Amino acid sequence: MEDYEEEEKQEIWSWGAGTEGQLGTGKLQDEYSPQLLHLLLPSSAGPIFMLACGGAHVIALTSGGKVLSWGRGTSGQLGHGDTVNSPHPKPVMLSDSCFITHVSAGWNHSGFVSDKGSLFTCGDGSFGQLGHGNNKSHSSPVKVSYFINKHVEQIACGMRHSLVLLKGSCGDRVYAFGSGKRGQLGVSKGRVNSVNLPEATCRLEDAKIVSIAANGDHSAALSADGNFYTWGRGFNGTSDAFSPRYIPALLCFTEVALGWNHALLLTGDGEAFMLGGNHHGVLTNPNKLLSSVKHLQDSNEANLERVPCLEGKKVVHIAAGSEHSTLITEDGVIKTWGWGEHGQLGLGNTSDQTLPQAVSLGRDVGEEEAAAPKIKVYCGSGFTIVVITSLRRPHQRLFECSNSVVPE
Amino acid sequence: MSYDDVEIEDMEWNEELQAYTYPCPCGDFFEITKEDLKLGEEIARCPGCSLYITVIYNMEDFAGEPDRKSNKGLDSSKQNSIAVA
Repeated sequence: MEDYEEEEKQEIWSWGAGTEGQLGTGKLQDEYSPQLLHLLLPSSAGPIFMLACGGAHVIALTSGGKVLSWGRGTSGQLGHGDTVNSPHPKPVMLSDSCFITHVSAGWNHSGFVSDKGSLFTCGDGSFGQLGHGNNKSHSSPVKVSYFINKHVEQIACGMRHSLVLLKGSCGDRVYAFGSGKRGQLGVSKGRVNSVNLPEATCRLEDAKIVSIAANGDHSAALSADGNFYTWGRGFNGTSDAFSPRYIPALLCFTEVALGWNHALLLTGDGEAFMLGGNHHGVLTNPNKLLSSVKHLQDSNEANLERVPCLEGKKVVHIAAGSEHSTLITEDGVIKTWGWGEHGQLGLGNTSDQTLPQAVSLGRDVGEEEAAAPKIKVYCGSGFTIVVITSLRRPHQRLFECSNSVVPE
Repeated sequence: MSYDDVEIEDMEWNEELQAYTYPCPCGDFFEITKEDLKLGEEIARCPGCSLYITVIYNMEDFAGEPDRKSNKGLDSSKQNSIAVA
């Protein structure tokens, strides 16, 4: 384990809306271009395994199962035991013996899953989105007792709701709680204002769900055979879905990312698709919007559209903010498009973009590394964070080690 | 162009801001005060960006309160004066 960690080099870049401290730059301002972060993470925690970005906060899960968070904390969503913002990473108040394996950040709430299958939630609970059987908010993670005899695998937090995926291969495995006004809980055929205790999402019993996603008032799930299900607020002005809808496509999907009005999908063949993107990249330009609405108005159903302008390059990873999109191509290029008013596209300006544009980090990624770096991108509502993990070349490692004490 | 139409019951009362709020996709909140609603304003703006939403509400629900008791049942025969704070 330790040998492995020594060989990894990690770079974290952020850009976009930053007035709540969510960029981790230590400054409370928007950034229009990628900023290299100098996060102070405890060395014992290991490198970052995954990030989760919410309305204006970030949760970092390290490979050592430790969790840190920063950004807006006014509802207790940082899990620091208080209700104040934090511009720098601070540990989430979880027990030392707890090894966390999955995290999610919603608009103003957070979820943490442990290797034992326990779920902990904190932050805004006013719609029941913490799942504790009441509408209270919590400033440090509280175990969700409903799942005490079950094994939770994943958590997905939306604006005012949460989805949970249980481990196993059959039966009810997807649970939901919080606001259900737009059908995002999928727990019944009718309208449910909100529930504050987990309820099974219907119509998914026969599908082997492997991943779940939530953002805004949308919910989605992918099955092991690559089927895509979505429920909640309708895309492109279509009617809300109160139970999961299978979106027929002759494609095998491996990743899904949700915004507030669109969904991004990635196939096993490296193709990216968008659902419901007729506002995408035209929020601040109503003239463009009118023409795109006209274009789509004869179809009642939102259609999957292939993401254009990728020059035949395969896509390896996708992420969605509330109104912006990002993807990573096979050659390590970060592309962004959508709403850009806060610099969330990282293109050095505040313009919207209807087509994917390459983000420059001021150098070629992968130039110094021995092997192609692993690039992961994460989007909060109006901001973006990229984590680049690469293996160091042996000589480079020696050089850098000479400046620090490395135990043999 | 309004970003969304939001019912007042889906907005949250923020004591500190003395305003109804709703999440804005930039990470901040759309805001509208009771005074605005009383005056018939239906646009809630985000202080952090150019977006705004249209608030769906009944103006009558805000017209009278909190300055006076409602005079329900009398309005057809008697014209109510508009209370000015």
